[in-house]
Parts: sequence; C-alpha cells; structure tokens
Amino acid sequence: MKYITTVDGKEYQIEVVDEKHVRVGDRLLEVDFESVNGQPVFSVILDGKSYESFISESDEGWQVLMRGKQYQITVEDEREKRLRAAAGGGVAEGGEFNLKAPMPGLVVAIPVAEGQEIKKGQVLIILESMKMQNELKSPKDGIVERIRVKAGESVEQKQALLSVK
Amino acid sequence: MFKKVLIANRGEIAVRIIRACRELGLETVAVFSEADRNALHVRYADEAYLLGPAPSRESYLRADKILDVAKKSGADAIHPGYGFLAEREDFAAKCADLGIAFIGPKPSSIAAMGDKGKARATVIKAGVPVVPGTEDVGNMTNDDLLKIAPKIGFPLLIKATAGGGGKGMREVKSLEEMPTLLESARREAESAFGDGNVYLEKLVEGARHIEFQILADSHGNVIHLGERECSIQRRHQKLLEEAPSPFMDEELREKMGSVAVKSAQAVDYVNAGTIEFLVDKDKNFYFLEMNTRLQVEHPITEMITGVDIVAEQIRIARGRQLSYTQDQITFNGHAIECRVNAEDPFNNFIPSTGRIAHSLLPTGPGVRVDTGVYPGFEITPYYDPMIAKLIVWGETRAQAILRMRRALEEYRIVGVRTNIPFHQTLMDSHRFMGGQFDTRFVEERFSMDTDNASDPNVEIAAILATLVAHQQTERSARIFRPNERDTSNWKWVGRWERMHR
Repeated sequence: MKYITTVDGKEYQIEVVDEKHVRVGDRLLEVDFESVNGQPVFSVILDGKSYESFISESDEGWQVLMRGKQYQITVEDEREKRLRAAAGGGVAEGGEFNLKAPMPGLVVAIPVAEGQEIKKGQVLIILESMKMQNELKSPKDGIVERIRVKAGESVEQKQALLSVK
Repeated sequence: MFKKVLIANRGEIAVRIIRACRELGLETVAVFSEADRNALHVRYADEAYLLGPAPSRESYLRADKILDVAKKSGADAIHPGYGFLAEREDFAAKCADLGIAFIGPKPSSIAAMGDKGKARATVIKAGVPVVPGTEDVGNMTNDDLLKIAPKIGFPLLIKATAGGGGKGMREVKSLEEMPTLLESARREAESAFGDGNVYLEKLVEGARHIEFQILADSHGNVIHLGERECSIQRRHQKLLEEAPSPFMDEELREKMGSVAVKSAQAVDYVNAGTIEFLVDKDKNFYFLEMNTRLQVEHPITEMITGVDIVAEQIRIARGRQLSYTQDQITFNGHAIECRVNAEDPFNNFIPSTGRIAHSLLPTGPGVRVDTGVYPGFEITPYYDPMIAKLIVWGETRAQAILRMRRALEEYRIVGVRTNIPFHQTLMDSHRFMGGQFDTRFVEERFSMDTDNASDPNVEIAAILATLVAHQQTERSARIFRPNERDTSNWKWVGRWERMHR
C-alpha cells in the first residue's frame, strides 16, 4: 500500500511493502514495528536503528511525539489524496468550529457574546482546571453562534461549550 | 518526643514526608479525599483516614477534620507539607492548643511573614534590603500613589496588598498610563481577594529569582543551606530550579546568606524556611518574601549539601539542636529539578487529566524522582498539575544538564500529556546552557517551535505515523471483509433496515 505522508508541508512517498519492509521514495528499509504493551507507544527498529514514540490520532491527523518533539502528520493513500484534491481542500477553514472543553473544569468567564464577530486567536472562554486558568481561543475568524454554558458552571471533558461560524 | 506523625497533605510531598518518618522510625498517618483513595501516600502510610469529597476545601483544607483524625489516631505531630494548610497560622495555633507538635514555624512567625506589607516592614527594621516601593506605607489613595511614583522611578509594578499569583499586578511604563492601570489593578484585586488595596514597587529589570534555604532550631541556632536558582518560571509558577545558581559567586552567597539568616531571626523563626530574593543584573539583591514551610524544590539543596531537610524539620520540632553548624555545610556538585506537570506544552500548557496507563521512571547514576503517581492512577482536575519532580545531580552544571537530558529521555508517561518535552527543549537551549536567563525568559524568549528543516527525525516520524495509519486501515478492513459473517452482508443490511423501520 502506498501513502503520501505530510509533515509541515513536506511530502514523503512511503510504501508499506510487507510486514518487514517499507519503501521511502526509492529506498527500501527493513522495519521491525511493535506497539509496547498494547499502549499507543510504538517501538520501531529501522535498518538497525531503534526509535520509540508516542502516537495519537487527533482531528488534524496524527501526532507523533518523539525525543521531546511533536510532529503533526497527515497520512493519505493515493485515493484519499485525489478525493481531497477534487474537493478543493478548505474544509477546515469554511466549516463551523465547535469549541469543546479540553479538560474538565470550571467556566470562569466568557468574554464574548452570541452574535459577536471575533478574530482568530481571540479568547472565547476562560476555563479553570488544576488551579490554573486557561484561555480557550478561536482557531478562526467568525461569529459566535451559540454559547451553551454560563460562567460559574462546571463542565466535563469534551463537553460542547460554544460554536463559531 | 512525638512518635506518630500525621501528614496533612497529598501527592509527592506526602510520600516524601512518609519516607523521612520511616527512616526515623516514626509511625505515619495519611489523610485522603475521595479522589485519592488509591494514591501512593495512602498506600505507604501506616494508617489512613478519609477526609471528604475531592475538592480541597471539603478535604485537605478541612483543619477541623484533620485535627479529629489526629485525635482519633493518636498522632502527636502534624507535618503540613506545602500548600493547603502549611501557611495558616490559625491551624498551627490550634495544633499547639491541642498539644500536637506542628512540624513548622510558630504561628506568630507565619503571621509576621504571611502579610507581605508586615513582612517588609519587619525585615526593613532588621536592615534587610527590599525592592523600593510603598508596601510598608499602608493604604494610599490614587493621588498619593501618583505623586510618589516618579520618586520610585519607572518602570514600576502595581501589586495587590493581599496578592499572589500575579493577580492585581500591573506593569507601568510611564505616569500617563498609570491612572487607568491603577483602576484595573484595584478592580482585579477586589474581585480576587475582596481587598482592592494596592502598592507600588520598582520593577527590577533582568531580575533573577534566587532563594535561600534556612534552618533554625529552638535553641537560637540559624543556618542557611545556600541558594536555589528559580528564575525559570511561567505565569509566576516555577518550572525548573537549580542549585547552586550559575549567577552566584562566593562573596555574594555569603552576603545573601547572612541577610537570609538575619531575616529569619527578625521573626524569631524556628524550623525550615525559605527567603526569596530578586537579584538584578548588577548583583543588587532585594528581599521578596519568606515562605514559612518546606519548599517544593527542597531536594536540589539536599542533593548538593547531603542534608535531609525533612528529617531536620522533625528533629527541630522535637526540640533538639540542628545536626549541623554553618561551617559544616559544604556544597558538592550541581543539582537540577524539573517539575513534571500534567499539561500539554504543545497546546498552550493546557492541563491534561486522565488515567496513567504506562509509566517508566528514569533511574541510574545521580537521578532521583519524587512522585505520588503510578500506572493506573487517575489524574483529576481537583489538585495541582504537578505529578513528579525529576532531580539530577552532577559534579558540574554541565554534567547535571547532560544527565537531565538523559533522564528526561528515559522518562515515559502515557495516559496524560506532560511538560517533559518543554524541559527537553529547555535543556537544548543555548541560553539556558549558558546560564543567561531571568524570570521572563520562558515567557518572552523561549519557544517550543523548533526548526524541522534540519531535523533528521522528521522522516522517521513520518514513517512511524504511516505504519500506525496502515495498521489501523488493515484492522478496519479486516472487520468488514466479506464472508466473515455467517450471512452475506447484503442479507445483513436488509435485516438491519427492517429492524429500524
């Protein structure tokens, strides 16, 4: 199976040849790939070099944490890539953004109001958790659609807080 | 002489105190909230008692319940750790009333150092330098503050009298912007502390935060155990400490050490305490405050002096003399502590909660880990995000940094996000290596973004992500492979549709 893997705008052609081999560009590498203890921690030996990394799936693709650095990576097979090219991309920019609580906590303040026009990076909600106040910011320009919580309210992790259109 | 110690705290510090008690042959009593039934301090102590629901004010801050547990268990001493009830004079006083030894200073010393204004006034009288400002003057009106501001000089800080944690604090660059900033600082202080009083303080530029550990017994002996460099902070929270400070020389240490001792004597201090100073780039130093308790970062002092500070605290509380004189305190090598917090350094340091699925602690030469968590333990949103302290010792600062890099690389925690990558990036920063940083370094001149272009591991990461994605695709393909069900997929869809009609 052939994949196009993108890290920070740079594309890699990676083919999973069989269980023991991958081809990167035109180089064939011997690979020994194991998950540690059934955890999202993976150990890989690539042509004799040993690496370990924590890999999780996020909304934007894969997050690979290795040697103190985090890489944001998208992996597509050729068909997915063609489909996305045909759709013209831009799904992330156009759609509605639903702000969910990244952790359980207490809503301290909501410095925006419904119908308000906001800029990317503007603070939408201040959430207190573990004695720390955290500013949850908007990832895009838009209009505040619906605020589902009030200041002083306790929220669960992943609870919908508000949406930006 | 007490025999049974109640530890009125949780997490790594409760475990640390239990360890000292064990070594001294003292019995230990743990207290816990409903969220902490499985915590390490409960498992390690000889006895354990439930206090109440998870929120601190219903459990670890309930002085009455803790004192009831002390009575019930027959504990004749209480160690408060840090945070929670550690700096509450009324709690220390109640212990004394009940004949329970409080392993800490006298209530009067806590009171004298607890109010920042009073603390300043006290140490000024003892001849200790403080940052120029109006804190000791008492409440002043906006007009008075505006009049006195040019005499202190700009830039300056507006700070809340009842303050802490940066609330009600404003930086003022000129007289023109001061009236509006005064108003907003008062508003913020009023809502945070119910007290809108503020004072002015000169802003020390290029300031380092350096503190001195002191020990004082009830026989009038006071010594210091040298300094700790605590300038690596974010939002006024310390992230990394080291001892000795790379900024310090022998002459300055002697001068600051004797001032620290003098400050402690000014409030008739007994037990372990810490004097915090601001030091400017010309090595002028100013008293900031005194912490009348054991500090989070005490282990780095233990590593370079060999003194077990908690054991000394217990010894002092038992009414005995210090084990050391000032001449017997020597410094050997260099120690660094990284605070490992459950927060995501790649996402604005947002706290992370969850169950620790997997944890592999670094060990080996010169490495110490103080922690209260283990695989299977749940990190809840109720308490401080610090889950471990990673401490290393090296003969030199350079060796300590190399060792810390190695230990951070070994440390594996799965289940919650941690700031370990932040520390790794810090260890690689040239400014940190060169010892060139002040208290604003992390917020103003540090970034987690590194250059991917010259990074040889990008390709490896890409291969890893591809392998994981491939494995996932294979798995989901297998689930829907035809003929694995006993009926054909078309029949199955038909039945499913009929069922939902």
